[in-house]
Amino acid sequence: MDLAPVLDGFGVVLQPTNLLYCLIGVVVGMLVGVLPGLGPAATIAILLPITIGIEPVTAVIMLAGIFYGAQYGGTITSVLLRLPGEASSVVTVFDGFALARQGRAGTALGIAAVGSFLGGTVSIVALSFVAPLVAGFALDFGPPEYTALALLGILLVATVSSGDRLKAVIAACLGLLLATVGRDGFTGAERFTFDNLSLADGLDFVPIAMGLFGLGEILYNLEERHRAVHAPATVANVWPSRKDLRQSSGAIGRGSVLGFFLGILPGGGATLASLAAYAMEKRRSKTPERFGRGAVEGVAAPESANNAAATSSFIPLLTLGIPANATMAVIYGALLIQGVSPGPQLVDQEPELFWGVVNSMYIGNILLLIMSIPLVGLFVKILRVRATILAPITVLITLIGVYTVNYDVFDIGLVVAFGALGYLMKKLGFDPGPLVLAFVLGSLLEDSLRRSLLLFDGDPTGFLTRPISGTLLVLFLVVVLLPLIRAALPRRRADARRDTKELV
Amino acid sequence: MTVLVAYVPTPEGDAAFTAAVEEAGRRNARLVLLNTPREGAPVSAALADEDGVRDLAARARAAGVDLEVRQDAHTGDLADEVVRVADAVDASVIVIGLRRRSPVGKLIMGSTAQRILLDADRPVLAVKP
Amino acid sequence: MTSPAGGTHVPGRPGGHPAAGATPQAGPGTPPEVSTPEEFDLEEAIHQVEAEEHEGRPPAAGLLGNLVVAAAVVVLGVAAVVGSLAFDAGSARSPEAGTWPLMVSVVIVVLGLGLVVTARRTTDAERFGRTSWLVLVGLATMVVFVAVIPVIGFEIPAALLAFVWLRFLGSEGWRTSIVTSVALVVAFYLIFVGALSVPIPHLF
Repeated sequence: MDLAPVLDGFGVVLQPTNLLYCLIGVVVGMLVGVLPGLGPAATIAILLPITIGIEPVTAVIMLAGIFYGAQYGGTITSVLLRLPGEASSVVTVFDGFALARQGRAGTALGIAAVGSFLGGTVSIVALSFVAPLVAGFALDFGPPEYTALALLGILLVATVSSGDRLKAVIAACLGLLLATVGRDGFTGAERFTFDNLSLADGLDFVPIAMGLFGLGEILYNLEERHRAVHAPATVANVWPSRKDLRQSSGAIGRGSVLGFFLGILPGGGATLASLAAYAMEKRRSKTPERFGRGAVEGVAAPESANNAAATSSFIPLLTLGIPANATMAVIYGALLIQGVSPGPQLVDQEPELFWGVVNSMYIGNILLLIMSIPLVGLFVKILRVRATILAPITVLITLIGVYTVNYDVFDIGLVVAFGALGYLMKKLGFDPGPLVLAFVLGSLLEDSLRRSLLLFDGDPTGFLTRPISGTLLVLFLVVVLLPLIRAALPRRRADARRDTKELV
Repeated sequence: MTVLVAYVPTPEGDAAFTAAVEEAGRRNARLVLLNTPREGAPVSAALADEDGVRDLAARARAAGVDLEVRQDAHTGDLADEVVRVADAVDASVIVIGLRRRSPVGKLIMGSTAQRILLDADRPVLAVKP
Repeated sequence: MTSPAGGTHVPGRPGGHPAAGATPQAGPGTPPEVSTPEEFDLEEAIHQVEAEEHEGRPPAAGLLGNLVVAAAVVVLGVAAVVGSLAFDAGSARSPEAGTWPLMVSVVIVVLGLGLVVTARRTTDAERFGRTSWLVLVGLATMVVFVAVIPVIGFEIPAALLAFVWLRFLGSEGWRTSIVTSVALVVAFYLIFVGALSVPIPHLF
């Protein structure tokens, strides 16, 4: 493997601006993970206007920091307050809070920090080897492969998202439809523009993301009643003992590997990884009855896994140009704004960007490890700020911030409209994530599909003649038909419960 | 007969509790402790933790006073909540702790104690630490 | 992600709910109930945490509500189909501007019908209730903000929006609401107009 670009990447990371934005990213990420309400996707969306004025590599370094920083922040509230700050921290609640009740909150937080660091680092190393391979492999992709890949990616994200699969796919279709608004690239016809000049160039990604994720979430939270209040928790001796570390070393290792693989899968992600790692640890433990009562492995495994998964979920984005989850979709959008098209050519054509981002994750993980423990007290203080005060601040940041993108008041109107849509969607059980994902992929998908059809002279079975697109398409059909088959077959229990939550 | 004390884990609140226990003993009344944090944030410094509540209960027990602890969170104004609960338990006296505020502090943040004194329609005992 | 709300509901506001510091109840302050020597059930525990998260939310919509949602999706799909047919629908052999939107719209219609079929079993939609008025007010402030900003600048609508959110949607006191609103607008002015020189319509 050619090491030169990798080392150049480190050079990029060590520039003071990039280091600063990395720091900002992980601190903001931790904050976002601690505070209930907004998640990393919403925060990244709201901060999109900031990314316009800075270099692409700096922007992604910061946004990436927010993403994996949030995985750690969510742990703090899980352990101290039994309140999962992020969906991927739900599993940490069980043993983490149990440890806290035994007066060992520091141990739990410390193990979580170490596990997160190691999980992230293992994942980055693996990413450094796997990503160029995947990108190289994907350079031969043509329109049929992209069609199949985009379809499969959207479907997987919609299927594994929280709640009703049917509604998630509908949301995705809506996203695809919204992507058609504007002038058609092939024929020049204006679609769904209703004679509005501002719509002629298509819908801008930024107001959609900011509205759906940011304002939508805030409006949705207005209907939340009666959150429990907790007394401030004090944390002492935030470092795990050597015995604890030794005991959890296996869990950390296994969790990291499992997290890495589950993160690459579109629709997989940090939440699924944390669940799977916990379940696996419990199953292979010789003393499973300790789990749920303060087993350090019960904290180490999910934390390593979720950080590993958060890191590896960058692979599909950076190598194939296919976002693996809603947050990646927003980062994809951020890259597009900067004029960077993510795809297999990114590794070769923009090595500074690619390796700059990847290597920044090492630094980010180190920063997280160093800062997480001293900052715990600070974050608990921050938890005292009332949501009712944060809400109007966030609303105004969003409304005024979106204006800074195009200096167009129409965008503010658009963000409000999508805020209303986001609220309705969440209220009625439609996950907005698949909509954003489908929106960013919509043009690519339609483009590839039309080219493919022209290639096959209108014959859809042409997809099956090519090995890659054929396999992907078969997978697609399997994923589509699986729930129908399961519904038809009588099972022991109705699969009505959802046991994975929002991925971001 | 019921004595209501509005408690927060501060020196003022502590002084109020001491006075309230004494008062309840004197009147041979039960003591209702209202420790109500403001709703909206996951953590509130106004809420007494489990150890704190245990201490208070022990002190009441030592004085032979019957103690009821209410820790429901409230929305809106604390003064309104105190007055509302006082009505609900039909308190014969409300015990509150007084904190020194600078004139500027009072202007910007108002005085809960003042509101309780003015709005309550039952006796109020204001205590300083 | 919204956080779990805890404790039992006390009907009618003001008044509250058990704060997590309350000792006698097994509220969110205690770990999930584990019957002693048996193994910890992961699925059960997860569902418990999820259930707590939904305790603070309005109740689920009934069958009628779900049917209305399904119908709305179908209507949307049909509208999109009609819209797509207005452009050249083309064919698989020669896709035109309308081909792709048509395909997607048809899928939406089909899925909407699927929603009708599953309407009985659906529990994830919420009912609209009293709290929904708060959302309406919040949205109204944003709409007013957009409508008014080109005319009188952002300062006044921003202050009003913040004030409404703090005082009426957030039950903060008069003093807090006024002071915070003004402070917010000043901060935004200093940052966006002063430091960043963003050409947002402003009065002062």
